[in-house]
Amino acid sequence: MYINKVQYMQKTAIASPIHFEEVFSTTKGSIYQSDSEYCWYVDFAGKLARFDYRNLLKLQKAVYGIDIENILLTSDKSADVEIIFICACDHCYVLSLIEIIALKELLQGAFVMLDLNHIIQDRLFRLAA
Amino acid sequence: MKDIMRVKSSISTDLETLLNQQIKKEALSSSIYLSMASWCDRNGYDNSADYFFKQAEEERMHQLKFYKYVLDMGGMAISPEVTNIKLEYNSFREVFEEALEQEISVTQSIKNIAARCHKEHDYVTLEFLNWFFKEQREEEYKARRAVELFDVIGEEGTGRWQIDKHVGQIVYSEG
Ligand SMILES: [Fe+2]
Ligand SMILES: [Fe+2]
Repeated sequence: MYINKVQYMQKTAIASPIHFEEVFSTTKGSIYQSDSEYCWYVDFAGKLARFDYRNLLKLQKAVYGIDIENILLTSDKSADVEIIFICACDHCYVLSLIEIIALKELLQGAFVMLDLNHIIQDRLFRLAA
Repeated sequence: MKDIMRVKSSISTDLETLLNQQIKKEALSSSIYLSMASWCDRNGYDNSADYFFKQAEEERMHQLKFYKYVLDMGGMAISPEVTNIKLEYNSFREVFEEALEQEISVTQSIKNIAARCHKEHDYVTLEFLNWFFKEQREEEYKARRAVELFDVIGEEGTGRWQIDKHVGQIVYSEG
């Protein structure tokens, strides 16, 4: 899949098309990988955000760390909004509970696909006789 | 599609987490021993204080060894926060009993990391851990021998003075 980065990231003035490969998609969002940039693009909640290796892991940790059950059980009137801020990363998400569940599902799927890709790489190239 | 995760890091995120927990555990050990050195010194057990000062330094060295390994493997080493270090002990004997407990807990925790390595076929980290297993053999031996001094010498009369004198002489030699 080829996406012109300018369409998505107004701030970045790189006009060259970047090759993306879809890692995983749900109806709520997608995660793409850019081999040339060694990073991932998370298309979720109306924005396309770039995550490098370390930041993607931080996003995973932040999202997996949210106690969804606890938010559901606490019936106080505070808004069911969670702010996901990742240190040393340009992006921040302000998500509703429903969106958190959707993002978690998206990330879980993506990490399964990345694990699968690791196994495939091993089998096809690294362990092939 | 490139296997970026593997390219960036030689260890899994789960192992990275476990190794960071171990970094914290070693830091905790170091602080506990330092506190024990303080207690021993305050109570007139000079040799035992020296023994724990040395132990504290060794634990710091262990911490750095894990720390550097995580970094070398492409991981993120986290400098730990260590709090709630005990200041007072009820007795001279209790200090050594707790030191032995601390060593046992460290050995168990490293075994747990090794089990994870086996599960992931991470023989590289497993090999790295071997140094620590050998080290723990010595650490547990010394800690156990120290506690045994309390029974062998006895605490009556000048017993504690004798025990303190012998603590520094405990050596482990592989037979
Ligand atoms: Fe240690
Ligand atoms: Fe130790």
